Amino acid sequence: MVLRLLTALIVVLTVFLSCTATLPQKTDESYIEPAQAAVLIKEKGAVFVDTMGYLECMDHRIPGSLCIALEEFEIKSQTSLKDKEQHIIFYCESDECLRAGQTYKKAKTLGYKNIYILNGGLPAWKRAGYEIESQQRIKRAPVVSIKPHMLKNLIKEKKGLFILDIRSEDLYKAGHIDGAVNIPLYTLHNRLKEIPKNNPVLVIDENGKRSFLVCCWLINNGVKDVIRFYGGMKYKEIQERKG
Amino acid sequence: MTEKNWFEILFLSTIFFMLACGDGQAEIKINCVDCHTSAKFKTAYKQSVHGNIGCKGCHEDIKSLDRHVIKKEKPSLISCGKCHGEIDKVYKNSFHYLYEDFRCYDCHYEIHELKPEKEHFKIAVAKNCTKCHTNEEYALSGHGAAVMKGNKDSATCSDCHGLHDTKAYHTSTELYSLEAREFYNRTCKSCHSNKEMMNRNGLSPDTVRYYEETYHGKVQDLGYPTSVAGCADCHTTHNILAKEHPDSAVNPKNLTKNCEKCHHRIHPRFAEYKAHPDFKDRKRYPLLYISFVSMVVLLLVTFAFYWTHTLLWWRKVYWEKHRLEQLGIKLESPFTHEENIQEIRRFSLKDRIMHVLLIISFFGLVITGFPIKYHSVPWAKVLINVMGGAHNAGIYHRFAAIILIGLFLVAMYRCIRFLFPKGFGKKDRKGWLDRLFGPDSLMPNKQDWQQFKAMVRWFFNKGEYPKFDRWTYWEKFDFLAVFWGMFIIGGSGITLWAPELASYVYPGWVFNIASILHSEEALLAALFIFTVHFFNTHLIPTKFPMDPIIFTGSYKLEELWRSRTLEYERLKEENRLEELKIKHPGLVLKIVSSMFGYTSLLIGIIFTLIILWTFFFG
Repeated sequence: MVLRLLTALIVVLTVFLSCTATLPQKTDESYIEPAQAAVLIKEKGAVFVDTMGYLECMDHRIPGSLCIALEEFEIKSQTSLKDKEQHIIFYCESDECLRAGQTYKKAKTLGYKNIYILNGGLPAWKRAGYEIESQQRIKRAPVVSIKPHMLKNLIKEKKGLFILDIRSEDLYKAGHIDGAVNIPLYTLHNRLKEIPKNNPVLVIDENGKRSFLVCCWLINNGVKDVIRFYGGMKYKEIQERKG
Repeated sequence: MTEKNWFEILFLSTIFFMLACGDGQAEIKINCVDCHTSAKFKTAYKQSVHGNIGCKGCHEDIKSLDRHVIKKEKPSLISCGKCHGEIDKVYKNSFHYLYEDFRCYDCHYEIHELKPEKEHFKIAVAKNCTKCHTNEEYALSGHGAAVMKGNKDSATCSDCHGLHDTKAYHTSTELYSLEAREFYNRTCKSCHSNKEMMNRNGLSPDTVRYYEETYHGKVQDLGYPTSVAGCADCHTTHNILAKEHPDSAVNPKNLTKNCEKCHHRIHPRFAEYKAHPDFKDRKRYPLLYISFVSMVVLLLVTFAFYWTHTLLWWRKVYWEKHRLEQLGIKLESPFTHEENIQEIRRFSLKDRIMHVLLIISFFGLVITGFPIKYHSVPWAKVLINVMGGAHNAGIYHRFAAIILIGLFLVAMYRCIRFLFPKGFGKKDRKGWLDRLFGPDSLMPNKQDWQQFKAMVRWFFNKGEYPKFDRWTYWEKFDFLAVFWGMFIIGGSGITLWAPELASYVYPGWVFNIASILHSEEALLAALFIFTVHFFNTHLIPTKFPMDPIIFTGSYKLEELWRSRTLEYERLKEENRLEELKIKHPGLVLKIVSSMFGYTSLLIGIIFTLIILWTFFFG
């Protein structure tokens, strides 16, 4: 009798346990956690590479990072990262950002052997309690933002609106708002003159995470009327899909 | 060289001279404002909230004044967390710090002139946030308008998004949609379930509770917020307006469009669904009230009758068994040993397969459905997690429902074939009434009523155990209860499965009724099977712990004679006993039957206990 009940119990438990979902383990060795990165710096002399634009990197970065934007990696690595054995950790501004991964691929193609991606990017580094540094901090300023459905009205209302698309050349070519001028963020610090200071300027990025800093930088540099495009082109596409 | 430059050189030289002559002990009476002469530092700072801590209270890292005056020692970034530790701690996990690298002074503009907020705190927060986050919709919303009028309860930006702990949910990219929806639903509920606050503002404090009693609310609570309506899905986010406002998303004119965001291709009457009704409110929701009360009465009557029946039966059998044991009496059999070991077929292979499938589908429905019914208790959440979320539970539930519907259709077909074995020809029509009320039918008849009365008399030691034919009255009830229950639970289930399609047949409030019927009928069915059916068939002392006959299909001749005396006599008289004699079931079938049967019994008993625990203590 007891044996029968025990058998029944085992069967029930087996059925339950077999239904339990198991989480897949992350096996990609290229991703490292902030604590592992800190050890790599100490033990292997690893360097961080901030793959964002120059303005962003100088505003805030992991201490001692090299500012090499994704788009410039092939050129700048020739002078800044001559040793292909050098331990390099790439990162970008969020866990949503793909730039670190893209730079990692470029580095791999170029023959770098000891390369890693900081899992979760800069926010993960901050969350882990590590410090960051600012070389040329951009003073934050109040910035007005508009959502995609307000764009038409804005173009009507703001005469001479300068639509500044700060995404990479490739993304711009793949699709952009009519009349938008492409000045990729990694080149922006050298091309301020191309932006009319007395015209209203609408700043558009990929996902709404980079435009705010650019808006602040423009305001600090004398551009009077700066507007931010909420959520960037990604949000616009999502909204259009939803109809 | 200008006059100003000369003055600066003279001033700095004086300071150098004073420093050079000093012995380190002498006090140097230099104030920061001697150099930092602007009104901001000289006057405004003293009147600010930080005015009493002095310059070095924050700029403590300036160790050498002579190096500072020649700009060789600059103050580093201020750590506000030194004093505002708690705020600093939560801020370090906020969106503004992690993703935008904001520092305190990026929101608290002009930190040297910061003064205690004179105006209403909520208004100040709204004004500060909207410097960057322009949101006309919020300003026009019910929340925004009330805040601006000085309402201290209405939601300002920080009430939903946090003040220093703004979450890292960037809704524009929908990256953390699940977390964001859970967080914001919780936030809405926390205020709208606050009785005092809602009463103060003339709003119902029970809306949240009523919402949580609906399918949306239950599934949302279990952690499936991506595909079920949370607060903001119907009421929107920043532009929440009162129902009466023509632009309100929940205004009757806009409601169909609102529902269509999730429920595509619906009939306009779909929007008549009540999102958070109080089905106990007879005046506002009479039909929901009647549905609920009817189901409660049905449950009470059924269980009052059957649990009493079960209890009396158990007493009688147990007492009888005890008496026989005490007196050392063994029941005598009229058969020889050879006849005794002869197996008699009771259930055909079809019957047994159908019952196994019925058990699988029934348990599947119970395991996947009850966690939704009792969503707020811990075991429900554990079960839902084991199944991989309410979404998966829903898929399994529908799969089990398909099996059950299939079985129902097969049973219907078999009923028709039983009544009309050779089709609907004229010859067969004559006998169908006889078959319907005959001994092999599950249709109740007069004899059942007589047997029931005899059984009650037997319970009270006032008569013999009644003689039964093939089906007892409780077996007929078991079958017919499930059969008729299928119309309620199946009908309501199909309606809730495809509400969009159903809206072309009936209005949205029928879904509310369907939810009540489905839920309460499920409770009735589960508890009936797990208590009454389990006892009648397995747990009765003469069969305890399990009667495997529904899996093995046969029993001993003696058992037929003892429990189905009329059937035995009838079969003998009709010379049909021979055709029912079969071989003893094999070992494999017995082991499999035991495993399956005990597992089912155990699950059923566990479920009974947790349902009863939830009902009384959950």
